[in-house]
Amino acid sequence: MSLLGADYRRDMGVHSYPVLVYALTPLAALVLQAWVPRLVLGYTWFDLPLVVTVYFALARRNPIQGTLMGAGMGLFEDALTHHAIGANGIAMTVAGFLAGSVGVRIDVENHTIRTLVTFVLSLLSSVIYFSIYRVLLGLNLEWNWLAELAKAVVNSLIAMVLFPVLDRTRVRD
Amino acid sequence: MESFFVRYRNLLVLLAILLAQIIGLAMQVRRTDSGRNTLDPQDAPGVRLLRLWADMVVTPPERAFHASRLGVVGLWQNYIDLRHTREQNQDLQKTIDRLRLEQASLLEDAKQGERLQALMDFQQKYIYKTQAAQAIGTSGSDSSRVFYIDKGADYKLERDMAVITPDGIVGKVRDVFPHSAQVLAINDQTSGAGVILETTRIRGILRGNAAGRPQIVGILKDDRIHPGEKVLTAGGDLIFPRGLPVGVVEKVVPDPDRDSFVDVIVTPAAHLNQLDEVLVITSTEPRFPPEQQQDMATSEMLKGGQAAAIAEAIKEQKKASEVMAERLPGLTDPNAPAQTPAAGTTPGNAQPGQSATPATVTPPPAPKLLHPQHPDRFTPTVGSPQSAQTSAPADQEKKPAPKSGLKPASKPEAKSAPKTNPPPAPAEGKTQP
Repeated sequence: MSLLGADYRRDMGVHSYPVLVYALTPLAALVLQAWVPRLVLGYTWFDLPLVVTVYFALARRNPIQGTLMGAGMGLFEDALTHHAIGANGIAMTVAGFLAGSVGVRIDVENHTIRTLVTFVLSLLSSVIYFSIYRVLLGLNLEWNWLAELAKAVVNSLIAMVLFPVLDRTRVRD
Repeated sequence: MESFFVRYRNLLVLLAILLAQIIGLAMQVRRTDSGRNTLDPQDAPGVRLLRLWADMVVTPPERAFHASRLGVVGLWQNYIDLRHTREQNQDLQKTIDRLRLEQASLLEDAKQGERLQALMDFQQKYIYKTQAAQAIGTSGSDSSRVFYIDKGADYKLERDMAVITPDGIVGKVRDVFPHSAQVLAINDQTSGAGVILETTRIRGILRGNAAGRPQIVGILKDDRIHPGEKVLTAGGDLIFPRGLPVGVVEKVVPDPDRDSFVDVIVTPAAHLNQLDEVLVITSTEPRFPPEQQQDMATSEMLKGGQAAAIAEAIKEQKKASEVMAERLPGLTDPNAPAQTPAAGTTPGNAQPGQSATPATVTPPPAPKLLHPQHPDRFTPTVGSPQSAQTSAPADQEKKPAPKSGLKPASKPEAKSAPKTNPPPAPAEGKTQP
């Protein structure tokens, strides 16, 4: 992993995308997250909105954009559940912020690094979500560590496939 | 100061957004009387607005995806895989005709059961009206086992309506939007349904666990609970009607929190992970459509015909038994006085095979009292003028009377007695003067 100066990285590669990609990719991620589990026997061992948030936060290298995008996607996901709105929002906000912050400091063109970042942030997001639920809100919510680990692995696999595809939609200077 | 905001801009934005969300979360949680925190079951207007927006964004594409998937499946099933359809259609039509009659009969039984239960003040429900709906989406989270259906307020769906499939219960409507509704499945951790084990009649509450498996919680240890036992709805939660299939017991595990309690893991009867079509129970009031009413009338008519046939059969059977009674020697007193002609028909006129029942109602013949073996002063006949005429002489009292003579002549025997040829005089005859 090559550590580079922040200004250097920023000058070197802040990627931009067409507006349609900005608008449709998160929407598609949210819709598919809600629809695909019906086709795969109800298994929801993936989090497409998180993967998309991490991708754009890394690519834009902007913590504020990552924070806003994470908050929006997380709140949207919360709204589709019957749980309190905000728990997932906070988790995704932190994930987006960290991804944007990391993007400033590391070489995010490397697929392995991006996959690892996705894996770590996926686990962190799960930890934050359940911490909020059980500690902050004091609600009783059982959870399964193995399921969260599997979810992080699946997210990483999705990232390996999805990130190169999204890379092709970049605006070339 | 300006440099502070510029320098820590990222962190300040993060903190502001986190703070706003934490405040929003705090507004959705309330503390119960028992000191535990819980989510408000009824969403606040602001929260509901967010859910409505999310639903409005997600539902149209989901509906489109679902429709296109159904289109592809339908193309295959309706145009390509159409072999033996005509024969199947004819068979199914016959089955439908038969089932409609059976259904009408069952509905009548249900109505009667409801009337009886109303008399007994039972609060149980019967299903009378359902609305079919398609499952079009999920929450996308394994910690929230909810799914969305394509019918909402436009089809008069309401909160807390039960959602079922022909296999078993699925969940209840949690939230209703204009064109869709959110259904909380029975395998969610926050769900709750009153259930009962079919054979042991043990009651409990069904809810989901972290793995999304439904389990009955709060049951005392009981060795009678075995895997394979059926689980039904108990009807006490006022959401699910009583007696609907829930699933079967898969295994019994100790309750991790309480020593003397167990959790019963249930395999759901409905395929909760592969739901396509569900039924929402929209009414438990008796509202029958015209077709069903016609079926019930047909069933009633058939029942009337059956009743008449049964009555005819009973009548024939009665006639046959009377003929047999005429031909067989009866245990009657051959010396019993013949019925008076006032009965409307003379015994001698009655022919075998005809009913001996007179057309007019006659009082039953009084049984002829036989002589007691050892009359004493308490014997009611002693001393009466009639008894003085008919009583046996004192020397005949010593002769034993047959047991059959102790019985008074019964009504049918009295009817048929004159028509039968009396058998050779039994010992009773000796007691007669």
